[in-house]
Amino acid sequence: MPDKFVHEILPCGIEFGILPLPHRHVVSLHIRFLAGCCNEPEEQLGLARIVEDALDKGTESFTGPQLSDAFDAIGASRSGGAGRETTTFSCTVLPEHLQRAIELHAEFLRRPVFPGEAIRVSLELAGQELSALEDDAQGLLDKHLSRQAYGPLLGRHPLGERSTIARIDRESVAAHWRTHFNCGRMLVTIAGPVEPRRTKDLLTQYFEGFGASDREGRTAFPVEFSPRSVHWQKELEQQHIGICWPGVALTAPDFSTQQIMIGILSGGMSGRLFTEVREKRGLVYWVSAWQETPRGAGMIFMGASTTPERCDETYQTLLREVDRLGDDLTQDELERARTGILASFETRGLTTRSRCAELLGDLFYFGRPVPLEEKEAKIQAVTIDHVKRYLREHSRERLCVVTLGPRPLAGMLEDAKSAAMIGVNKT
Amino acid sequence: MTNRNGPYTQHTLENGLHIVIEQMPDVRSAAAGFLVRAGARDETPELAGVSHFLEHMIFKGTAKRPWRQITIDFDAMGSLYNAFTSEDRTMFYGWVREADIARQIELLADMMRPTLPKEEFETEKKVILEEIAMAKDSLEHLTFDFLQEKVFAGHPLEWPILGYESTVGAMTRDQMHEYFATKYAPDNMYLIVTGKVDPGEVIGLAEKYCGQWIPARRPAVRTPAVVQTGVDVLQVSRFRQQVVALTFPSVGGSDTLAETSAAAATILGGENSRFFWEIVQKGIAPRAGAHHLEYTDCGVMILYGSCEPENAEALVDALRNEANRVCTQRVAAHEVDRVKNKRRTSLAVEGEAPYYRLTQLVDDLEYHGSPRTVDQMLAAVEAVSVDSVYEYFQRFPINTEGHLTSVGPRQWPANGNG
Repeated sequence: MPDKFVHEILPCGIEFGILPLPHRHVVSLHIRFLAGCCNEPEEQLGLARIVEDALDKGTESFTGPQLSDAFDAIGASRSGGAGRETTTFSCTVLPEHLQRAIELHAEFLRRPVFPGEAIRVSLELAGQELSALEDDAQGLLDKHLSRQAYGPLLGRHPLGERSTIARIDRESVAAHWRTHFNCGRMLVTIAGPVEPRRTKDLLTQYFEGFGASDREGRTAFPVEFSPRSVHWQKELEQQHIGICWPGVALTAPDFSTQQIMIGILSGGMSGRLFTEVREKRGLVYWVSAWQETPRGAGMIFMGASTTPERCDETYQTLLREVDRLGDDLTQDELERARTGILASFETRGLTTRSRCAELLGDLFYFGRPVPLEEKEAKIQAVTIDHVKRYLREHSRERLCVVTLGPRPLAGMLEDAKSAAMIGVNKT
Repeated sequence: MTNRNGPYTQHTLENGLHIVIEQMPDVRSAAAGFLVRAGARDETPELAGVSHFLEHMIFKGTAKRPWRQITIDFDAMGSLYNAFTSEDRTMFYGWVREADIARQIELLADMMRPTLPKEEFETEKKVILEEIAMAKDSLEHLTFDFLQEKVFAGHPLEWPILGYESTVGAMTRDQMHEYFATKYAPDNMYLIVTGKVDPGEVIGLAEKYCGQWIPARRPAVRTPAVVQTGVDVLQVSRFRQQVVALTFPSVGGSDTLAETSAAAATILGGENSRFFWEIVQKGIAPRAGAHHLEYTDCGVMILYGSCEPENAEALVDALRNEANRVCTQRVAAHEVDRVKNKRRTSLAVEGEAPYYRLTQLVDDLEYHGSPRTVDQMLAAVEAVSVDSVYEYFQRFPINTEGHLTSVGPRQWPANGNG
């Protein structure tokens, strides 16, 4: 039976979606504010994450520990995070605790006091997290690759830089919250055994009057793709390789084709990268392809890590696999990639938490709930010709290549044909 | 002989393969897994890493399928599949749409009788050596391997699951086959199936695909580890942060205090825990936690954190201070209630996904010999109390010397064994 979504904009400005799932034993609540790292002042990078971290450390009625205790009293499973474009909070509870969960979210989102000591600690820890990032080879590679892929705005890292964190204080935290946390920038989704009208009333009851109701934050941020090859020197056992090139946005007609293409490359162990790089040649333990989709844009990534003496062969094999995809793609491969996506809708995609997160994504990207049947139909419609055309139109001609490890790749420059430069940096 | 209890059906084939099925009528998928009761602690020192290497080789070909066909068949179902090896078990699983569960069981069963092709053995060895290299680039992984080596010195738990370059490099296909023949016998394995399934059909499939396997009748002999005390330091200058860990003896997963020990770890080092407020939120370290590491017959409580090297003393002092507090003063009732409340939610979440239930059943079978119903699990959680936590810390105090592990750029403590 098709899902019965509810999608409305409340008078206070909140855009919300509800997915009633009558027989479930939990309910999920996701709240997204349309403000993230891209909304930070340039001199205060890292601010969005500090705000997210500090929000629940004290309100007009609760201390930080009291608030955490209140969430624990209803057994809430929570998470939160600031990303490039948004800041998101999610929570899963037993159905009888939904009202309290909404009430407690309203408490810390609407009435934070940002205690000075909590801000001091958050800033101190942010500096330590930057040190920890230096010990995380993959995380560090992602940071450098994102910067090249998206440019100085969309490529910001949530942790910021030491120099910019040093300029953040309690007032800048409060100012960011006052400007960007309000009903007009708020998407809310709820999935589970809920009654839509009652749920809508609860949102109104607890959030009405929370800041401006004007619909803001709906504009995509610009991508500044910089094709070039850069090596970051670091003492490591392995060489870490990251490659990316522009793809299509999640809302583009070709997005389903892109999904299938990623599936063919890296959807399972029979995917091309796993088969050719790992299973046939034994070059790596980890190899993967994936996509990222900020609003209005898409980016294709490939990554692998290997010992230095094998990194050139690994790199060449990665590129060769992309290049030959348009020549010898088979119907069987396409069907496996298709099946992988469709099956995931019925396995991990069916949990209450997944459905709620999916609905949030629908509102964020499409401005409406997208029925599963519609998503399935798009995947079903992809043909080999679609994939071949996609590969022609989105070739890997313009590449960003980032390596991190003991030495640069041999011939890195030659393969990144349009690379503007090759740089070597020390991290 | 088939036993039914609530959603569970259990059946043992004549060759000893034990089948456990949990019916979940409200989902549209099912998961199947073979649990092999063998892991790194069942290896000899010269074959350190063979369990994990064998786990990889299970995907490399059978009499019926070359390796390429195994992965193609998994992906043709859209299966979410993988395998993992721990110190005391190896698990292979796939999560599929309900209509594909018979194909999934057939494929997994076929894989459990691998041919271990020699050429693939040599190629896969390179993959394992890359995995070992990757682990060395992870401060967390490096620390845990070092901790195990020192804390469990002289016991099979001391070597890493991945093994060493030397042992993996020297390993032969015949040595692996000999290990396989004793460990992957049906009387040392479980078939676990969860989700929207027909138990009768599953048992029939198991009979058909596994009934001819020959039992070994050689149960693993394991001895509990003795947890060492002392101070061990691994100085690695290329890392920026220092990881410290305090390790103390604790109960195994089968012990009646196991639920309490897990709750104690959560009170100390989980979300909204004492470590979070007294260490992280004091700015001493961005990460501090407590982990109850358990095996069937023994376990350890590990208090750990990572920090700027100059904060290492402050971090260890703070960990010890909180450890002393829980040993000398009873925890508050609301701290215990918090753990129970979160467990209720997590049980409800687990009930939505066959794969989540599969992983939970693995623990139940290893530690309790049979699956536990939701009511039994809730009863175990309810039995945790302020008094039981106090009793636990009286029996397994963590305000003693314990074992201190320190890994990072700093040679600290100076008196540690390098």
